[in-house]
Amino acid sequence: MIERLHRAGRGVFQGLRRPMARAFDGAENPLNHLGALTVFFLWIVLVSGIWLFIFFRTSVSGAFDSVEYLTHEQWYLGGIMRSLHRYASDAAIVTILLHVLKEFVFNRYRGKRWFTWVTGVPLIWMIFPLGITGYWLVWDELAQYVAISSAELIDRIPIFTDSMAGNFQSDELLSNRFFTLMAFLHLIGLPIFLVFGIWLHVFRLNSPRINPPRRMMAATFLALLVLSAVYPALSHERADLAATPQVLRLDWFYLHVYPLIQAWSPGWVWALLVAISAVIIVLPWTPAQKQEQPAKVTLDYCNGCERCVDDCPFGAVEMVARTDGTSYTHQASVDPDLCVSCGICVGACPTATPFRSQGSLIPGIDLPDRSAAALRADIEALGGRDAEPRVVAFACRDDRQLHEAHKAGIPTVSVNCMAQLSPSFIDFALSRGHADGVLLLGCQDGNCCYRFGANWTEQRLARQRDPMLRKRVEPTKIAVGWLSPWAEHKRVADRYEAFRRSLRQ
Amino acid sequence: MKLAGEIAAYAAFAAVVGLLSVWPRYELLGEDRALVSLVFSHAGERVGECRRLSQEELNKLPPNMRKPADCPRERYPVRIELRSGSEALYRKTLAPSGIWADGKASVYERIEVPAGAHDLFVGMNDSGGAEEFDFSRSETIDLFPGRNLVIQFDEQTQQFLIR
Repeated sequence: MIERLHRAGRGVFQGLRRPMARAFDGAENPLNHLGALTVFFLWIVLVSGIWLFIFFRTSVSGAFDSVEYLTHEQWYLGGIMRSLHRYASDAAIVTILLHVLKEFVFNRYRGKRWFTWVTGVPLIWMIFPLGITGYWLVWDELAQYVAISSAELIDRIPIFTDSMAGNFQSDELLSNRFFTLMAFLHLIGLPIFLVFGIWLHVFRLNSPRINPPRRMMAATFLALLVLSAVYPALSHERADLAATPQVLRLDWFYLHVYPLIQAWSPGWVWALLVAISAVIIVLPWTPAQKQEQPAKVTLDYCNGCERCVDDCPFGAVEMVARTDGTSYTHQASVDPDLCVSCGICVGACPTATPFRSQGSLIPGIDLPDRSAAALRADIEALGGRDAEPRVVAFACRDDRQLHEAHKAGIPTVSVNCMAQLSPSFIDFALSRGHADGVLLLGCQDGNCCYRFGANWTEQRLARQRDPMLRKRVEPTKIAVGWLSPWAEHKRVADRYEAFRRSLRQ
Repeated sequence: MKLAGEIAAYAAFAAVVGLLSVWPRYELLGEDRALVSLVFSHAGERVGECRRLSQEELNKLPPNMRKPADCPRERYPVRIELRSGSEALYRKTLAPSGIWADGKASVYERIEVPAGAHDLFVGMNDSGGAEEFDFSRSETIDLFPGRNLVIQFDEQTQQFLIR
């Protein structure tokens, strides 16, 4: 059932990617930076919020007037800031939703990734009250609706005797202290927990991507700025507790659940929210495909170079004091609780070279279930099977391109992650006559399942990162599937044929 | 071509954000409807009278616990009824809160009614009596569309307030 959902979801994402790929190169595709984009939107919210707070008055009568002043009299700055504050908050919900869905459908929440997945749930629980308290502060008709409905929801928690919602039934009962409380929650309380929550969320990741590419930041900011200028955020009428607003312009990003409070009951809404959260939390422990063994260090071949530590996207490898009495000071050590068996450490290891002539191919660090020796054997077995010019493709095991390549009859070696493949394997395939060209399919659009597979591969091939591709290898003999010009061919078979044509020339 | 695609993608994103932040509109209350809100907390009478302890009973108690009277904590449930003419808008018996049933009973009810004139009656029984109300109030009120009429019970004056 879950696997079926994964497949269906992946289909939707691939469908979305296709038109997106026309506009963006892999690295610039916003779908590859959803978490970082969320953080960027929160920065916009923070900066615009500081400006709004300077002019905001935390009182029943002052709140609405101060927001109206910002919106209409100081429209050129305060109005724009207010709209940016609103739209960036909404945009953050879009990216959060897509981020969660993407991690789910690409199966990036199980096994060792449970911590990052589970720590995302409190973030969602914090971001919604943050937005909701923001609407409350405007104290217009929408705020009145939000205040009463939120209070009804809180009243359902069986710890209060007096009804909180009762305080919002007449203007005389309403106290300025509510605004002080809301302002505290919105400006200090929730943001502090949110920042801590984000830190915890990326805590286990090595080099977490907190910022999207600059061009993307500029473009999304510009888009929100234009939206703010063309369609500024406006208040409803001033709140009047003697009346009930009849029609509201609801912000569906934050308030989608509120109509359910009236349609069902606060109790059922709590049940729904708790049930959804519980399902999300237990997902990592639902039955899944067999977990592979973590990477294994063989001290006889480990020289303590630290490249595996630098390249591991999950901080699963660390250097510890040498234990075998050799002259090296350090050795690599794998934390099996953090290792996701992507093999990127193997691709980084200088001893993972298929050219080794003495003894069997045992690198300093290797995957027991998909070893470097097995990769070499696959290249030797597949190479030369094709008609000239002979091409060997490498595809990631979790990407549908592997299946597509097999279906098209392309000689393909599967790797756990493209960065598991050290450049020496490409050199090996070409120089030992197993192939005339090497096609790296990787993950669709370079959207690596293990975060940095595409980046590290590109940098190693460009000789910017160790282990580098040897100079004797002609770049024209390597096609990187997720980069231009090969990415423009959408089907794997077309990419393969285009590459073969280029090799003939 | 790529730039045009990029601009189109970001414009579409901004459009979705702008659109769903205000649309579709949500109708909270029909055009010709109003609300009557019944909102208050009230503690019912105690179930039993206080009983003076005899000297013999007091002697049996530790010195720091010798109170002259033994008062039962439990309170009666509170029965509330709200009518518009002969139509009952709300009728419920509310249990006292707390594990010893000695706290206040609370009502929070927002009742949608047609706008226009209403002969409202609100009554409350807090002493366990079968039929009659200990407190009540009747009033004819014209509710304009969208009006939120609030009915509360003032503990100081022991009267219903209609705002």
